Amino acid sequence: SGPRPVSPRSPAPSRPRSSKMSAAEPGWFFCTAGRGLEPFLAREVRARLGATEVDCVSGKVFFRAAAGPGKLRQLRSGERLFLLLKKHSPLPVSGNRGKMLHEIKSLVIEDPKYWLDIISVWRKLHGHDGKTDDGSIENALALKRKSEEETNTASKRQKTEQVRAIVSEECQVGAGETCEAPARMSRQECWAESRTCSELPSRGSGEDPAANEELGFSFRVSCRCSGAIARILTSQEVGRALGTALVKQCGWRADLRDPDLEIFVHLNDIHSVVGIPLFRLPLANREYIRTAGLRSTVAWAMASLAEIRAGALVLDPMCGLGTILLEAAKEWPEAWYWGADISDSQLEGADGNIRAAGLVDKIELLKVSVTALPLPSESFDSVISDIPFGKKFKTMSDAQLLPDLLQEMERVLRVGGTLVLLLSQELHRRVDGLTRSAGGGPAEAPAQAMDGLTRCAGGDPAEASDSRAAPSVDGNSSSLAQRGGEAILSRHFGSLLPEGVYAVSLGKTDAFIHKYRKVSGTGSS
Amino acid sequence: MKLLTHNLLSSHVPGLRPGGGFPLRIELGRPSELPPEPSPGYEADEEFLRRLHHVLLEVEVLEGSLQCPDSGRRFPISRGVPNLLLSEDEA
Repeated sequence: SGPRPVSPRSPAPSRPRSSKMSAAEPGWFFCTAGRGLEPFLAREVRARLGATEVDCVSGKVFFRAAAGPGKLRQLRSGERLFLLLKKHSPLPVSGNRGKMLHEIKSLVIEDPKYWLDIISVWRKLHGHDGKTDDGSIENALALKRKSEEETNTASKRQKTEQVRAIVSEECQVGAGETCEAPARMSRQECWAESRTCSELPSRGSGEDPAANEELGFSFRVSCRCSGAIARILTSQEVGRALGTALVKQCGWRADLRDPDLEIFVHLNDIHSVVGIPLFRLPLANREYIRTAGLRSTVAWAMASLAEIRAGALVLDPMCGLGTILLEAAKEWPEAWYWGADISDSQLEGADGNIRAAGLVDKIELLKVSVTALPLPSESFDSVISDIPFGKKFKTMSDAQLLPDLLQEMERVLRVGGTLVLLLSQELHRRVDGLTRSAGGGPAEAPAQAMDGLTRCAGGDPAEASDSRAAPSVDGNSSSLAQRGGEAILSRHFGSLLPEGVYAVSLGKTDAFIHKYRKVSGTGSS
Repeated sequence: MKLLTHNLLSSHVPGLRPGGGFPLRIELGRPSELPPEPSPGYEADEEFLRRLHHVLLEVEVLEGSLQCPDSGRRFPISRGVPNLLLSEDEA
């Protein structure tokens, strides 16, 4: 009747992690990912961490790995990393809210000893870092988590007399909402949409005060409900219920602003997951990037497609603040990088970023226009660029300029080199059109569905680049990929062979990563 | 701007002879520390390679200009970034 463990791979519900687990021992983790980045993350955990039993679902990658926090922190295509506590089949949905809440509690709530074991594992994993881990407070990325904390700067640590269960709803790339119970501070604003915050019974209803003082632990429940469950229960309600239950069970103190421990609960149609975030700040926060432009995870994913080898020459001819070059140079430092832009302010920002990241030796900047690159033909191994969506081109629309951009980028690429572009929906359709006019072919396929499941099942992005037949990762291949390698013929010589299209989320909008390989005019490379 | 970058840049002022606009003259006071041509067997000459590596990758021009050898057009280098944008009339 309650949630059942999904498979033998899930940890058994009532057996806590061995408290002897050290960094070298394997553990279960899951990492959230922006839509479309799941296959990149799956590949990365295998490559970087030697992860096994990698399981990819929409928005998350589960895996098992024996890696310490230093290595785990290096993950580049994920959003937030969690210690996996429980992974069960989806909660059975009924109209009976009370019953459902009860089942959720039985999934999440354990006796204090279980939590003590988890906490000791977590603390061990962090060594001395504890709370000051990832203290890159000066990081300019305005994450919603940060704004969450800002909204509560007025709140002080509560006296343990009055208890509030703090609930926050977490989103991968979007806003986090918070709902605070007014408790004593009735003047305190409730920032969430839902205003049904309620006071909670004070602590002191029977648990052992001595144990709590020993523990001195504060917590926060972050709950996300979606799918069928969300129709019956809201994230806030579930979070509140769990918070109350945890306070009763363990005698902890709830703290929204700066909890010692955050418990993450995600309930949807695919599974019921409980985890503890490993790091205070998301992985997507890069301590080496001062001013953020393109989302760092997407930038890294693009660079990972470019096949950058030692000694390679890499160009971003519309580099903006240099995010792609920064990600690439950090990960593949044995190559040489050039960034070009026409805007002084962007180049200044890029220069600042490059200095702050200590990459002055690796990345050079040019004030040149991508439509007329003063660079020799066939001189670069990779060209990687985020084609600006907005009003960067004063005289013509982006779509009209696209052939000129492509021509110059293709010209400076050596035969066998890679071209990786990030395109808006409109430009993506336009590039489709260019391909079709070059070789003719079937009617335009619909834009790739943002279906993480299908995409993950299809395999990893690296495979796409090995095959000339250009499969895309998704089962529903785009028209570009499916036409078995038809090339966009340039006006002069050489051609661009499509090798994959990947739909990714940029938060508010969707975009498409296109990968090409330059082949010689005869079609070989 | 490193010398390596300079090696990649050419002037694209319109109307130049084929192959023109390269190499751009670096306008600085300092004489080159290298011989005009690499001597035969330079690959094995450790000392030469070290100086070459230094000049190519470790020396930066922060302020100066690059001059097109054919048109005489000057492209400024400011704060290490060469500006090779042509004005609308030139292009």
